[in-house]
Order: sequence, then C-alpha cells, then structure tokens
Amino acid sequence: MSILIGTESRIMVQGITGRRGRFHASQMFNSGSQIVGGTSPGKGGEWCYDGRLPVFDTVKDCVEATSANVSVIFVPPHSTADAILESIDCGVKIIISITGSIPLQDMMVVNSALQSSNSILVGPNSPGVLVPGIANAGIFPNEIAIPGNVGVVSRSGTLCYEVIDTLKQSGLGVSTAVGIGDDPIIGIDFLSCLELFEADPHTDQIVLVGGPGGDSEIRAATMIMESVTKPVIAYVVGENLATSILRPFFSRSGSLSLDSLGKKTSALKDVGVLMANKLSEIPLLIKR
Amino acid sequence: MKLQEYQSKSLLRKAGIPLPPSTLATNAVQVKRIAAEIGYPVVLKAQTLEPGRGRAGGVRIVQDEHQVENIANQIFKLILNQHPIQFILVEKAFTFSKEFYLAIISDLNQSTPLLRLSEAGGATFLEPESFRNARTIDRKIDINAGLKDFQIREVMTGLGIEPSLWKQLQLIAHKAYEVYRKFDATLVEINSMVVTLQNQLFALDTRISIDSQSLYRQESFSDAFDPSYFGWEERQALKYDVDYHGFAGEIGCMVNGMGLAYLTIEELIALNVMPAAMIDIHGGATSTSIASSLEMLLISPRVKAIIINIFGGMTRCDEVADGLLQALSEGLPKKPIFIRLEGTNGDTGLDLLHKNENLSFFGTTEALVNAAVGWLRGEEQ
Repeated sequence: MSILIGTESRIMVQGITGRRGRFHASQMFNSGSQIVGGTSPGKGGEWCYDGRLPVFDTVKDCVEATSANVSVIFVPPHSTADAILESIDCGVKIIISITGSIPLQDMMVVNSALQSSNSILVGPNSPGVLVPGIANAGIFPNEIAIPGNVGVVSRSGTLCYEVIDTLKQSGLGVSTAVGIGDDPIIGIDFLSCLELFEADPHTDQIVLVGGPGGDSEIRAATMIMESVTKPVIAYVVGENLATSILRPFFSRSGSLSLDSLGKKTSALKDVGVLMANKLSEIPLLIKR
Repeated sequence: MKLQEYQSKSLLRKAGIPLPPSTLATNAVQVKRIAAEIGYPVVLKAQTLEPGRGRAGGVRIVQDEHQVENIANQIFKLILNQHPIQFILVEKAFTFSKEFYLAIISDLNQSTPLLRLSEAGGATFLEPESFRNARTIDRKIDINAGLKDFQIREVMTGLGIEPSLWKQLQLIAHKAYEVYRKFDATLVEINSMVVTLQNQLFALDTRISIDSQSLYRQESFSDAFDPSYFGWEERQALKYDVDYHGFAGEIGCMVNGMGLAYLTIEELIALNVMPAAMIDIHGGATSTSIASSLEMLLISPRVKAIIINIFGGMTRCDEVADGLLQALSEGLPKKPIFIRLEGTNGDTGLDLLHKNENLSFFGTTEALVNAAVGWLRGEEQ
C-alpha cells in the first residue's frame, strides 16, 4: 500500500491554531486525509476549521480523545524539540516535523529519546509524507501526484515536489513520497526509507533525490548494493561545478571540499543506480 | 557562526582552561605596550575569520621590542579576502615539548557530541587526512548523561598519554564540554594543546563555532555577530528572514527552498550563465519578506532580469503574488520578470498576477530559465 502512513493513519497537528498549522490542517482535511484534531496549549476545548477539528492543550489529551497515531508539527523552531518529545512520550508512532532550523543540541536530545521509543521522526524541515489518494501528512500541494508504484524519497522539499510533479506530467504515479528534510540532524534517513520501500509490495521502483553536504547518498549506495533489489533512480543536485558558487548555502550542512564533487554520483552509479542528470530525465529512466 | 580567536579564548579562559596570557590591541602602539606587560617573546596574531592567516603573514613571533611596532603595522596592513585586520591578539610565546589536539565535535550522523583526542596537533577538523595518518581517538558522548571521567580515561590511555598529565587533561576536557553545552557550540577545538617544559598543559590555539539556530537563547553573542561583514542586501535579508547570496552574473533569482535554488542555478550554469543573486525566501514566507526580496532585485544595478521560481508547499502562491504586487507598485526600476508559480494556491496566485505586463509565465524550471537566458542573450547582441 504505502510506507509510514496509510489508511489506518489518524493525523493530528501540533500548533493547529497558528497561521501555518491552521491553513495546512484545512488543506489536509480537504485532500481527504483522516485528520482528527490538534493541539495548541491554552486553547484546549476550542474547535477549528469551522467546528470540524477539536483543539487540545496537550498531545496526551488529543491522543486519548482521538486515537491519533501520526502528528504533524508546525510549532516555531524554539519549541519544536519540546513538541517532538511530547509526541514521543505519548507513544505517537509517526512524528513529522515540518518546522526546521531546530537548535542542533536539541536534536541530539530528541534523537536520544527516539532510540528508546517506538516512534519514528520524519524531518525536521520535512514537507511530510504523501500517499496519493489516501493521505497528505504535511504540506504537499494538493493534487500534485497520482497514485502509482514509484516510491520517492528526498532531502529537499521543493525538489520532492518537482520530482513527483514531473512524474505526474508523464502519467506516472507515486506509492509514497517522503521528504526526510535537509537539516544537519534528521530522524528517518535514506537507509530506513529504502528498507521500507524494498519491503512495500506496492512500490516497484524507487527515486532517490539527494543534495550537497554530508555523505548520506554514499551510505545509501552501500545499502542499495547490499540489500535493495528494486530498481533505484537517483537525482542529486549540487554535484557539478555549480556547487562551488553555492558554497554559502552549506553553512549549516557542514563543511564541503570541492574535491568531493561528483563522488555521490559515482558511488551511486557504481552500484547500478540509474542517474538522472536533469529532472526531465527521471520519467525516461522509469520502467513502464 | 564562527567566533573570533579572542572571543573563543575569552570563553575558555572564563571556564577555567589554562591559556597563555593575551590581550587584544587595535593599533601598533597598544601592541608594544601590551607586549612589554606580558613579557617577550610574544606572538602577534591577526584576528580574522578568513582562512590563510598564517600563510599571509598574520601570525608572527617577536623576540624583543625593537621590531614589534614595525611587525604590528605590517599585520594591520594585511587584507584577507577583502577583510582588513582590525585587531591583533598579543600573546605570550611558549617553548613546548609536545603538542596534540582536543575537541568536542558534533557528529551529525550519530547525532551525538564526540570527544576527539589526537596526536595530530596543528591539523584542523576540516582536514580528515591529517587525522587518518595520526593516532586519533573519538569517544561518543551521551548528551543526556554528559561527559564522564571514564570516557576521558579511555581516550587518554588509548593514546598513551603520560599519567602525570591526566589530571590536567581531564579538567580541560570537562571544561571544553561545559562550554560546548552552555553556549550551544557546534565545535570547541583546542589545537594545539601543548605541554610546556614545566609539564604544564596550555591551550595555544582554539576555535569555537556557535549553532546559529540557537542564537535566540545565546544573547551574549549578539555583539559577536559582526555586521561589517555584510553588504546592504545581506542586512536586508537578515531583517526579512530570507537568505541572500550575491554572485557575479546578471540574472537575479528568487526561490522558496534550497533544492529549488540548486535546480535553478544548475539550469543556468548548463546554459553558461551565472546568477547575479539567489534569494531563498524559505517555506511559508510572508508577503512582506517576498516584497522586500523583489525590491532588492529591482534596485540592484547588476540585475538585468529576474527569475522567480516558486513551488509552494507551505509557501502560499497567493501570498507570493501579494508580495510581488506590493513591490511592483512602488515605482522601482522596471525589469523583465520571468516567473513560475506552482503549488499551494497556485491558481489564485496566477489570477492575481496575470494582469501585470512586466511578468511572463512558465510551467517548468527548465522553460523558465531558458526564457530568461534567451532574453539576456538577445539584449547582449
């Protein structure tokens, strides 16, 4: 069917009365996702979206009343670590942080708590998880994708939109699209998503969208060689000289040395991944 | 955010880490007076965040007072990457027998702090080869439990450090970790740590980077943030919470997200064109920050044409349209604007903009960039 979320997902929104939370809660509702309510400390008991979505003070209250098992977080960066920890504490299974730019050491504390829990964190700085026709747990534009058998996993949110839009233009559908986020420390990574896609009977092929900084694409290549049997198509930006003029953008993704240019492409190519040099090449590399 | 050497030394000294005596000077006369107080030999160190300080002659040992003013003036005349030297740190010079490297590093993959101790004194964290060739030990630190004595012992015995130095080293490691946690550092580096002839440990060179996402709770660094490093555009960007990066070309770009920034620039580079500027308005930008972003591009004399590439998720296209119309109504110079507006509330956004004659609309990044570059080439002929 899909990975991470599906028909059984009951979605709540942390920060449901804020400018962004309120708007995207209504977008999710309109897209037919099973959204059940949300939190906004101090506003418990109120309703939002024309009385259709209940608001609670705490995640605990919300989960008890609505059986929510997915939480999408829109609170400001300074309170996000607290919001994630609250959801972990309440046993929420899938926690999606749309908010990014969380202090680094806060993320270390969050990841430490995740390790001793059954929760999975998507993000921070994620566009969410999209299962076309079933649920949009995040900020994906509505009607951006059609249901199908291609799994998409991307670091960048906007590139994730570009890729699934390009697929749609060629009549290709998506099983699940996951934006894992591009902050220095993230929750679920390429490796776990590849593992989930490999096991998902409704995903036949996987598109991996990478970017500059870090070595997650190279670690993904190793894993693909060892344990992924489904065809993988990859599109990695920042691998040519253009990267060199974009150096300032890397200030948060760690250091970059110019001699690492092209290493991700060659690592992926070496293990049989089909590389798309341009966005428009992706549909051509997908088996019909 | 990297701190200047004198700033990081002041944090570490306050924390109780032994450092050679040093004082900051702003002119050669001060340098001479401070050197006399500290006692020769001294090291004069240019304060800069630019790389290549040593090679440019920004670090000089001075043996006595005859040369000191002359050398200080030479250092004050240095310009590194267009940044003049404003301060010199005057520091006591030491003779030492052995040097090594100690740091608290953020391991992004494992999501923990690391204690790193290495014989590769003098190398930096950014040169992985130096560490591969030297004996280096990394110890993972549980951020909830903090750095423990046994972990430091493990690292010290692993490297074969003499027991006579353990007590001093243990103290320094604890203090460095304290600074890392207290100030939301991403890196606290002591490089090199030296052993003097009296078997005393001293932190000779230090480097600290502060997590820029944590500055809201680290008010003490508001004055460490040096706006003289920024141009007008960068300061505007800071004010409106967007990212601005200037380049040498003639096409100004505005996008919502780093991925789109790369994609747009790669399409430009594929056609052999450099951008003049790249503004990332981030997800969910308000119409005010969008308006000021377009204003920056309209005002900039270098920008001849403008590319706006928006694929809205959290960014609402109607809000983008509002912001753009606001900037276009202000009587600023007219420039051709090539725009692609897709995603959340895309149709509403396009409806708002369609009447405006400065704008031409495209459906994909590729078509958008091709049109802008085509126009620029036409102008050049």
